[in-house]
Amino acid sequence: MDRNLVEIYRSPQFQNPSLIVGWQNHDIGKLNSRIINFLNLELGGDKVAEIQPPTFFSLGGAAFKENLIQVPESNFWACEKSDLLIFRSKEPNYEWYKFLTALLDFAEYHCQVKEIYTINGTPALTAHTTPRRILAVYSQPEFREKLQGYGLRDMTWEGPPAMSSYLLWTAERRGIPGVSLWPEIPFYLASGEDPTAIKLTLSFLDSRFNLGLDLGKFDLEIGNQNEKIARLREENTEINEYINRLETGLSLNEEEQVGLAREIYENL
Amino acid sequence: MGIKLFTEPELEKPDLLCGWPGIGNIGLLAVNTLKGQLEAQEFGEIEPWDFFYPTRVSIRNGLLRGLEFPTNKFYYKRLGKRDLIFFIGEEQPTEGEGRTYARGGKAYQMANLVLDVAEKFGCRRVYTSGACVSPIHHTIKPRVISVVSSESLIAEVERYPNTVFINERGAREGGGVITGLNGLLLAVAKKRGLESVCLMGEIPDWLSNSPFPYPKASKSVLHVFADILGISIGPNILNEMVVRIEEIVEGVYSAFPAEIKERYDERKLAIQASPGGITEADARWIKDHIDEIFQKKGEQGGQKSG
Repeated sequence: MDRNLVEIYRSPQFQNPSLIVGWQNHDIGKLNSRIINFLNLELGGDKVAEIQPPTFFSLGGAAFKENLIQVPESNFWACEKSDLLIFRSKEPNYEWYKFLTALLDFAEYHCQVKEIYTINGTPALTAHTTPRRILAVYSQPEFREKLQGYGLRDMTWEGPPAMSSYLLWTAERRGIPGVSLWPEIPFYLASGEDPTAIKLTLSFLDSRFNLGLDLGKFDLEIGNQNEKIARLREENTEINEYINRLETGLSLNEEEQVGLAREIYENL
Repeated sequence: MGIKLFTEPELEKPDLLCGWPGIGNIGLLAVNTLKGQLEAQEFGEIEPWDFFYPTRVSIRNGLLRGLEFPTNKFYYKRLGKRDLIFFIGEEQPTEGEGRTYARGGKAYQMANLVLDVAEKFGCRRVYTSGACVSPIHHTIKPRVISVVSSESLIAEVERYPNTVFINERGAREGGGVITGLNGLLLAVAKKRGLESVCLMGEIPDWLSNSPFPYPKASKSVLHVFADILGISIGPNILNEMVVRIEEIVEGVYSAFPAEIKERYDERKLAIQASPGGITEADARWIKDHIDEIFQKKGEQGGQKSG
């Protein structure tokens, strides 16, 4: 393992740990950030290591977003009581394979990670009133079998790979099985938050790892969001018609999609 | 960073022939066509993940079936006294986004890995092939422009058909740069004490950014390779592709304004080494309009097939 790439603060003590990975730059419906932050807070995540940025990120200056300087951070947190290692990072700009190798080196050699779960999110042409589904990609058929009964749906896709797929592929070459979770998020909630998808994904993790999470606060958020959208539908017939169409399984053209997404984003 | 050899053939003093994508894909097309003609056998590859990003994933019914990367493969062909190793790369390793040609540490590593394999099998000579952007008319048969690693190779290369040294073509101040792996591999080979020769097919300057291959130049390079190897490759090789591309090029050329066309046509009569025929302003006009013209031609093509 290249010590110049990963700075280790301490080696955590686990029994049979799993790794949960969230990629910061595809934070669709704030799914990634909310889930990782929630887990860290609720499970007492302790920062144990980080991947050093110079090899992997463009450091020609500092990016800023909403008046705040953004630093590329790639952190590991240990939740030892729950047997979970959590990793959150922006996807690297360069040297993807080296980055994933550094990530897996720490997870495997310092934490003995046995399984990998990546949190993603995929915009869907569905209404917010439609029950959410979690699409899943597994690196091994045996692992798919193992996760039967959790209500995950199989994904089918051919095209450019996501970083999560690259991670699963790299981990599989080491014999570590993994799954990437792709909860469907109504496209008009993709730029904002989707507490329903967040809660569904956390429910899966809660049930998979027996975490005993209290997810009640999300019910309140879901109720508030639904109420606001219901009010907007009453006030704006066009928005109501667009959502009606989605609820009945009809599609929207590009202009209608953009209009609906803008209205919802501005009014929530 | 790995080399994977599926088999280790016994080879007799093999030469290494390399092809990568580049301007007009001239070198790649020439080397790949020769490899196909000789029915060379694949025997190894350079593992791609340290050099390239995956281009495609296949996920079926929830299962990740595989990732695809640009390939970098070795092939061999026994010819008797002097065998061949081919190395064909689908992409040049770059550092940083948006670059086409190899540069930096990764390119250097790749060049060394390719040469590690070549030397393992006793190779002492390396050929690379690419494009030489030249002020020529598109109707003229492209020459092959050469650069070599040592003076001892000059007399031999002078005997190659339709081949001239880069200085005879008019290199700026007697020097220049061969960009990408075609150049870097020669340099690394020279550093290792191997003979190296670059054979570059000429492409008209105004076509150097075009989105299609320039098989006419590949054909010129192929004939030189055939002469070097003492093999016959047939007069009609690549002809179908040459004709297809010529039609497109002629179509674009026909859209040139009359005065530019007139000056450009002077190139048919000019000695190839001297630049000219068109003015700097003409060159600017072609550069500024070439995308537009290609687009129009593409649209017309689409209507015809519709």
